[in-house]
Amino acid sequence: MTDRIWDQFLTDRDKEVFAASGFGAMADWGERPALLIIDVNYAFCDEESMPILESIKKWRTSCGEVAWEAMPVLQRLIDTCRGKGIPVIYTTGIRRPDNWDSGSWTWKNKRRQEERKPVLTSDGRDGNEIVDAIAPGPRDIVVHKQKPSGFAGTPLHSYLQLLGCDSVIVTGTTTSGCVRATVLDAFSLNFRVTVVEDGCFDRAQASHAINLCDMHAKYANVMPSDAVIDHLNTLSQGMFDLPSGAGMTATAAE
Amino acid sequence: MTPDRFEDHAWKDIVPDDLLKIYEPYRRETVVGPNPALLLIDLYNLAYQGGPKPPQELQDSYPSSCGIHAHRAIDPTKRLIAAARAAGIPIIYCFGDTAPQGAPRRVGATHRKGVKRDPKDFEIYHEFTPEPGDILIPKQRASIFAGTPLVSHLNILGVNSVIVCGESTSGCVRASCVDAYSTGLHVSLVEDCTYDRHEMIHKMNLFDLHHKYADVMAVEEVVAHLSDLAASRAAAQCA
Repeated sequence: MTDRIWDQFLTDRDKEVFAASGFGAMADWGERPALLIIDVNYAFCDEESMPILESIKKWRTSCGEVAWEAMPVLQRLIDTCRGKGIPVIYTTGIRRPDNWDSGSWTWKNKRRQEERKPVLTSDGRDGNEIVDAIAPGPRDIVVHKQKPSGFAGTPLHSYLQLLGCDSVIVTGTTTSGCVRATVLDAFSLNFRVTVVEDGCFDRAQASHAINLCDMHAKYANVMPSDAVIDHLNTLSQGMFDLPSGAGMTATAAE
Repeated sequence: MTPDRFEDHAWKDIVPDDLLKIYEPYRRETVVGPNPALLLIDLYNLAYQGGPKPPQELQDSYPSSCGIHAHRAIDPTKRLIAAARAAGIPIIYCFGDTAPQGAPRRVGATHRKGVKRDPKDFEIYHEFTPEPGDILIPKQRASIFAGTPLVSHLNILGVNSVIVCGESTSGCVRASCVDAYSTGLHVSLVEDCTYDRHEMIHKMNLFDLHHKYADVMAVEEVVAHLSDLAASRAAAQCA
């Protein structure tokens, strides 16, 4: 892994500093991971692959085409984890219909007021619904959140504790926002963290690359999905006491 | 302990039958969970001041002392700590944070008035002196989890359950048990090593915790479990 996605954004001085200061070493994987899929919903992906400047006319948070480039990667990771009985945990947003609980989110975006009327998909679904291409299965777990980190004000940590997880494999969007916030909190709780480079996306290319660079330097192993899947395939079958899925429909695993 | 002895605890003499009937659905086997750590809640000097007397007699000089209740728990607590050491499980103490400028006014473990913050009072009582490999957590509120790095320590230690004891049953022990439960940890609470200023409060809080959040267990049972862990650990080292 000599050429990294962030190399093009670094100055020669930056490269020298990283090399000299010892950051970016490879950490252990941990032994009992959960797959985290952060906010891969319609508001961040649109309903199909669209040029981002087109897509954000309707969905102001959309990441456009890059979301759909990551989708097959996420599908492969999800299939691998389900096959092994490794926990698959999704996050997505939740909001009161009147948006009162947007709170601090209203402070930094000029288009927030558009959400006084809900933005819905062509078939009338909420933007926070996870996209069908990677829909949660009956034994997966969905965590609803209101802030960037999957841990902030949610039961995520208690679920990881209950499952006996010692590590998380993080995917989804945006790399610079909710992915990074979740990675930071997992790190602060002493979970081993892997970030799947091609399983994450952001609306800004530079933000995506530099945030991966930062996380790889300090908090996580940033790895391509092929290497992550190879590793997952070395783990034992059925290590976790997963939800039974009884009484769940395939798309309502909540 | 088996479900038929579920109510065989300190509260037996004060809880009426009609109340027990309401709590019937909580009846279950009680156990120590997997990969446990020992949490020793607030075993500091303040709780033992004035010696083994009824707390009402100590009220004027040592308002925070649990007196006789604290002193009665000394021997069983020493046995519990020794068993935990032999089993090699993490041993974690907490105590009141007295760091200067560490908290705004009115921050404390309870609303009690007139509590002084003398670091000497919050040193671990000499009968339970921590060893170098133990973990000490200063806290400002009731729960050992509130505003402390405890959960990150438990994660890196691979802990999946906690064995809790200390004081007071109604205050910091209760708060810590409920937070441990809410964090997804199995909780065992050691009855003989837990105490409060008054028997009635102690018993009713044990009753609540036992039914809803924790497995209240006798020290003999927990020590026996830890001795088994120590034995299997020794066997694994020989193999």
